[in-house]
Amino acid sequence: KRRRTEAVEIEDRLESLIIRVGEKSTSSLESNLEGLASVLEADINNYKGKILKILIDCAVKMPEKTTIYTTLVGLLNAKNYNFGGEFVDMMAKKLKEALKACMWRTARYVLRFFSDLVNCHVISTNSLLQLLLTFLETARDDNSPQVRSDTYVYAVLSCLPWVGRELYEKKEQDLDRLLKHIEIYVRKRSRKHVPGLRVWRSDRPHPQEEYLDCLWAQICKLRSDMWQEKHIARPYVAFDSILCEALQHNIPQITLPTHHQDNTYLFPWVVFRLFDYTDCPEGPVLPGAHSIERYLIEEHLHNIIKEYHHERKQCAALLLDFPLKHKIPLEYMIVEVVLAELFHLPGPRYIEICYGSLLIELCKLQPATMPQVLAQAVELLFDRIDTMNVCCFDRFVNWFGYHLSNFQFKWSWDDWLEAAQLDSSHPRAKFIIEVLLKAMRLSYRQRIAEVVPEQFDCFVPQKPEPVYKFCADSTADLPGMDTAHRLESAIRAKGTVTELLAVLAELPNPLRESEDTDPPYNPLQIQVFVQSILHLGSKSFSHAFAGISKFLKAFESLVGNHEEAQMLVLKEMHEVWSTHQQMMVMLCDKFLRTQIVSCATVANWVFSKEMVPEFTKSYIWEILHGTIRKMNKHVARLQREVNEARERRVGNDSDDSSDSDNEEQQQQQQRPRPSEEEIERMEEKLEGAQADQKNLFLIIFQRFIMILSEHLVRCDTDGRDFNTHWYRWTIGRLHQIFMMHNTQVERYSQTLSTLLFTQDLDPHILDAFNQFVALRS
Amino acid sequence: SRTEQERHLRLTTTLYVGNLSFYTTEEQLYELFGRSGDIKRIVMGLDKFRKTPCGFCFVEYFTREDAEMCMRYINGTRLDDRIVRTDWDAGFIEGRQYGRG
Repeated sequence: KRRRTEAVEIEDRLESLIIRVGEKSTSSLESNLEGLASVLEADINNYKGKILKILIDCAVKMPEKTTIYTTLVGLLNAKNYNFGGEFVDMMAKKLKEALKACMWRTARYVLRFFSDLVNCHVISTNSLLQLLLTFLETARDDNSPQVRSDTYVYAVLSCLPWVGRELYEKKEQDLDRLLKHIEIYVRKRSRKHVPGLRVWRSDRPHPQEEYLDCLWAQICKLRSDMWQEKHIARPYVAFDSILCEALQHNIPQITLPTHHQDNTYLFPWVVFRLFDYTDCPEGPVLPGAHSIERYLIEEHLHNIIKEYHHERKQCAALLLDFPLKHKIPLEYMIVEVVLAELFHLPGPRYIEICYGSLLIELCKLQPATMPQVLAQAVELLFDRIDTMNVCCFDRFVNWFGYHLSNFQFKWSWDDWLEAAQLDSSHPRAKFIIEVLLKAMRLSYRQRIAEVVPEQFDCFVPQKPEPVYKFCADSTADLPGMDTAHRLESAIRAKGTVTELLAVLAELPNPLRESEDTDPPYNPLQIQVFVQSILHLGSKSFSHAFAGISKFLKAFESLVGNHEEAQMLVLKEMHEVWSTHQQMMVMLCDKFLRTQIVSCATVANWVFSKEMVPEFTKSYIWEILHGTIRKMNKHVARLQREVNEARERRVGNDSDDSSDSDNEEQQQQQQRPRPSEEEIERMEEKLEGAQADQKNLFLIIFQRFIMILSEHLVRCDTDGRDFNTHWYRWTIGRLHQIFMMHNTQVERYSQTLSTLLFTQDLDPHILDAFNQFVALRS
Repeated sequence: SRTEQERHLRLTTTLYVGNLSFYTTEEQLYELFGRSGDIKRIVMGLDKFRKTPCGFCFVEYFTREDAEMCMRYINGTRLDDRIVRTDWDAGFIEGRQYGRG
């Protein structure tokens, strides 16, 4: 037994040595690598399996240390040819698995590792070329979507910074042929998806390039520089005399898995460009947009964020401690990369607050430079906001409001004074209005009013106050006034639902036309009831929520399932709280959760006549997206339940029942197996929810099509330019629905294209749909 | 018991939030804490005698994941110029909203 523990200790030690090689150390990387190679060589016979596994993990999971591990493998191969061969075979296996499982990142890093192994004389140049050509064959496959070949071509292109020079020196003609293939492919690709993924509509001052186009341009530039790049550290150069003695292996033949409809590929993206070298006047020069260094550094920074986004402090520290920090304007590159992730379309990789808190940490850690660079970034974003994508506009507002709240709302507001002269629907004016609204939510109105210059009084939000139309000192003689006052007293006296309904029963029903008709609901009752409840619960969210929960039965009896009645609830809410956007957002949420109103009603309300003046304000869209999200979550939950039930029905409870840590799992296993009928009932429920979801999207898209078509036609007949602020906000919001809920909308895309987005539609509207479809084609 | 308590802490979706300003409102808390996920409810900590906010609250999320996001990204950032501190809480029980007066 002791021998076993000893073996485990040795394995742990080897693992730690391998993982940590290349970290800061007192001796040189070369001598560390040499030492480690000797240690491993001595242990290869006894611990081969373990060493192989660790090396492969490192190769895949630490791409920033690729060249360190390829050198190590090179040294080991020089000492032990068979070991090198086994390593190559295992990596090839890893690649096959990754391709099959659509793990494109892993696949790309294995391919890159293979490329760099050519530099270390572990792999023959010909066999790498063969593999790269195999990848490029996908470009000629017309029976699979473009995203598939894009994914493979991208993997090949992203290897070339590592192995381009070697191929150029040894196999120039083959390399030329390879590049020719890529060039032909890049030229003929469809770019329908690009407009939908751009942060800005405009290419000024910086072109907004699609990722593959951009990398291709960077590779072309590298080629014209004779494949010399200055970013990648190449420790194997020092070992050239040892490595060139070694024998090389061939990568085993790899056949690519064919396309399957369930496969997911890389979502295309557009490279975010905010700065160029003129923006960072002091210090080292920012690499140009087509310099390969820009790509390599950006990729490295993105990888740091990916690896450490859970730990914002560590993440910030590692970003600022970037290895080449003295050779580049690091703060600029970090800010560009973090904002690129925040503005990424269709959605950011991680939740928005992750980037917000990371930027705060960066400012705290580097207070001498970071806040200035970030402020400069905000200035540029503000300058370019006229053509900014609406999804990104919202994220910009949310982030900036939050950021300011962490820094006492200090900002050079005076630089933006000109915006006060603009139309309030102009993007710049709107940005300031919305930022102040967000800032106010995180603070209070007075503070915001004091912090901005007086010229911005026009932008400062109104004081959030309820307007109760049955107010006692109101002089207006409204129908229902007396009842409202009696209702208030009844509520204050802790009356029951029955008592309240009795008070309301005295109101006549304006919908009743004759004695015989019995209208489904009484609008006056709803008006009086909703106004009173919200008025009495106006002190805080909790008060409002408590009122709604307490009188849920009254809501049910007054409103029921009638769309018009539900609509009335929302209208009354808006009348009471029109100056308090956050309250309306919260109340809508509460009404949906308590099923007082349906998702479809909220959607119809957003597009209703009464809401026209509110239509371009952000909170309306916060409400609508919240509504869609709620529906999506509901469907997802029912789907999960059906899947789980089906699994339990088949009976997968034999495995892992000893795992006592996982309490939830155990609980699940204790539940009895569902019967076939139970599953059927669950499936029916799911189908019902999916029908509601589909209906919700149909309503929303139909309303968009109606108002946009109407606008376009009216402008056409009046001979006016259709391209107004209103039009751009509205088309932007339509686009936002597609982007934010693209996975859910995708399920109904067939229906949408046959029912709504038909060919006779105005191309401006149809474009939004086509861009969305192109994301996956 | 202690292990029971630990189990609760491992599964809870409730956070205790401290170091708030007495003037911070429930609305501000919804705005900030809603940024890490959907909030089930917020219970304001109140002065035992005056029944006014006294610098802490409980935030309950619908899911554990959202509460974890809050621990990661909101804990240690500012609200009303004060650094808010969040900590796992075994779950709010009526009566606990009253602080020492």
